[in-house]
Amino acid sequence: MTSGNKLAGPLTGLRVLELTSEHAQFCGKLMADLGADVIKVEPPGGQETRNVGPFLEDEAHPERSLYFWHYNTSKRGVTLDLNSPNGQDIFRKLSATAGLVLESFPAGYLSDLGLGYETLAKDNTGLIMCSVTPFGQDGPWRDYQTSDLLHLAAGGQMASSGYDVEDIPDAPPIAPGGGNAWHIVSHYSYIAIMGALYHRDFTGEGQYIDVSVHEACSLTTEGAIAIYLSTGEVVRRHTGRHASADMSPGIQHATNDGGYINTTRSGSNLTPARIKVLGEWMDGYGLAQDLLDDKYQDPAVVEVSGQHFADVLKNFFANMPLVEAYEGGQELNFPWGAIRTMEEIMGDPHLQDRDFFVPVKHPELGREFIYPGPAAIYNASPWSISRRAPLIGEHNQEIFGGELGLPQADLEELKSSGVI
Amino acid sequence: LATLGAEVIKVEWPENMDMLRQNRFTVPPGVEPGPNSTGQFADTNAGKLGLSINVRHPKGLEAIKSLVSVSDVVIENFSSRIMTRWGLGYEELTKLRPDVVYVSMAGFGQTGRQHYFGTMGPAAQALSGLTHQSGLPGQQPAGWGWSYLDDTGGMYGAMCTLTALRHRNQTGQGQHVDLSQMITGITLTGAAFLDKSINSRESRREGYPPGNRTVWPGAPVVHNYRGPIAAPHNAFRTQQTHDGGYNDWCVIACLSDEEWTSLVNLMGGPDWAKASKYVTLEGRLEHQNEMDRGIEQWTKTIGKYDLADKCQAAGVRAMPVQSSEDRIENDPQLRHRGMFTKVKHPMLGDWKFQGAPFRLDGAKVAVKGPPPMIGEHTTKIMGDLLGVSSDELLQGYEDGVYWPETTPKFPYVQQAIDEEAKR
Repeated sequence: MTSGNKLAGPLTGLRVLELTSEHAQFCGKLMADLGADVIKVEPPGGQETRNVGPFLEDEAHPERSLYFWHYNTSKRGVTLDLNSPNGQDIFRKLSATAGLVLESFPAGYLSDLGLGYETLAKDNTGLIMCSVTPFGQDGPWRDYQTSDLLHLAAGGQMASSGYDVEDIPDAPPIAPGGGNAWHIVSHYSYIAIMGALYHRDFTGEGQYIDVSVHEACSLTTEGAIAIYLSTGEVVRRHTGRHASADMSPGIQHATNDGGYINTTRSGSNLTPARIKVLGEWMDGYGLAQDLLDDKYQDPAVVEVSGQHFADVLKNFFANMPLVEAYEGGQELNFPWGAIRTMEEIMGDPHLQDRDFFVPVKHPELGREFIYPGPAAIYNASPWSISRRAPLIGEHNQEIFGGELGLPQADLEELKSSGVI
Repeated sequence: LATLGAEVIKVEWPENMDMLRQNRFTVPPGVEPGPNSTGQFADTNAGKLGLSINVRHPKGLEAIKSLVSVSDVVIENFSSRIMTRWGLGYEELTKLRPDVVYVSMAGFGQTGRQHYFGTMGPAAQALSGLTHQSGLPGQQPAGWGWSYLDDTGGMYGAMCTLTALRHRNQTGQGQHVDLSQMITGITLTGAAFLDKSINSRESRREGYPPGNRTVWPGAPVVHNYRGPIAAPHNAFRTQQTHDGGYNDWCVIACLSDEEWTSLVNLMGGPDWAKASKYVTLEGRLEHQNEMDRGIEQWTKTIGKYDLADKCQAAGVRAMPVQSSEDRIENDPQLRHRGMFTKVKHPMLGDWKFQGAPFRLDGAKVAVKGPPPMIGEHTTKIMGDLLGVSSDELLQGYEDGVYWPETTPKFPYVQQAIDEEAKR
């Protein structure tokens, strides 16, 4: 355990079989960190995302992928060849003990192996199965091959993200990094699964869930769809702020120490009272320009002065260090944010106060590493990392032997024939 | 939650409205502007009920408390501790509803030394590290062209709610969930986080962020947190259709040497592409600029949908960059899956609403109805759900409990009052 907290997580008692690649292993991680018994079922030799970097000390190895480590905390792991009859047989036995099967194989793959929802649910009517695929189980693009980049293109993220033409004339639409197509679909998968669990709590019935990465991404562009439906206009990309059908004042400004600050709202959202608060503070640095002029106590003047306020702020920030500007603004209730990197996030005292930096033991290495912890503090049932990601087949013995009760001789046979 | 069938009551006050009700950019031409006329509010609030009530009035506060006693869940995203100041904190509400699930969604959370710092999407994205992950190297960050963490903060709110409900169903115990919008963003930067905490790799480095590439040309070949290292991996201009080609782009990613070979064949096997320097990933990474220029010469001759179809048929990963218009009008997959559902809206007419991105038991999960007009269901909720008499309701409207005394009443508000008066 990584903290002294003795309470059990909110999903304690739920067993999940997770057969996912990059698409939905984040969904499995969330459930595992929240107390579910998530068993990651990998092909013998390990799941392909173990080959995605970065790697511990940059040494590529399936047991050293930091990417895999992050997305698979708190899970147990077994290996199983689902293409072999013996493997399928074991999987059926395992699924009889599970409340949820979470999978991201190509549409129809598990059904073709005789492991589809109808088959598995026959003797386990409460079973929930969630299939996460690029485009869902049907439709003209069903079998298209994708990646994170491709989803951010088709889903509309790229059409909204990039630079003002004035900043970089030939900039392409930009796909933000970090694998967020998979995060987005994992969030929606999690919600669908929880909805199905809630339904099961009252009816005893399980169900089949068909989640589409493309639909999830397409749903996650905030105003772009509404703007088109309302006005027929397609949004333009703006540096560091919302895409919009028209031009808007900048909200991202350079500071005098090489940083950038984001002010969330452009100057046009200010009121006379707030202009005064801002002006008095900036005046302390001799940088208020005309903000304390009486004319800005007239809401009508404020309304049309958005670009001017943005210019005054730009000049102010150009003469301020990042943290002083950001924290000073926040102390006065301006919802500003410093553009931080991991260098600044690591060790942030506020995050320390919330026990966000979680030490996780890697006994096989005799080391302990700091992981990102919970985004939410549950007061009665904690979100916490209970263990590092499983090694390849780490729990084969414990689960196949101990819990399913397969005889040792069978396990040896399965191992030598490559089924586990 | 409303789309999944929950009875969601949106508690509002006309003097301090939801920002999305004020978004004048999504009021269609010909529709009278106002809090009930914005497309963006409509999409985000479909299927909820609307209650207008003044919690700063003692009778309003009392009514809210009565409402809590008959509710499973309270969700709030005020700045930290505002609800507690109003006497509506978790401890207080457990006296009315011991098993209440109470989800707070402040920017920095309810605890920690900067709990009172405020955020909305852009600031939360900046502070969490998400903004810095997006853009071209050597330039200021491009960031996210929408409030990703408003969307995602909302999703975490739903996730926390359903998780705590699951716990309550199993144990009978409610709880307080203290969610931080900003921290949800850090949870989404895991690989970069571990690369720093374990490998001490700084994010301020040459070639990072790598635009749409996995590795920026000329920069050291290190992992940049966008899946497997691959090349080509970029956005390419396609044949111009309209709007100066603003969104005529297609992305192509070859995740293996085989996929690259398929692309070369699809392009008709031009001599430049058959050069030995492109045979290996190392070579393609080293010569990315030249390779991408060559690919773009080809992509510029083909429309983006046609190009993606051709690539996919040949085993090459490619998708069009789709604008909002594209997704609504031109995307055959979203159309097939019924992403948009027309629902009659009192101000907007027949309006397309986005559904949930999944099917449950084979059925598309669509919105359950239009969004509430502000205060639309006040008399119904107070009367039917809480048993408040017509006389008390009318008195409440007189006293400014259910509608601000200085704000003109919309016709539907006046009509609801008139109906109570007739009872």
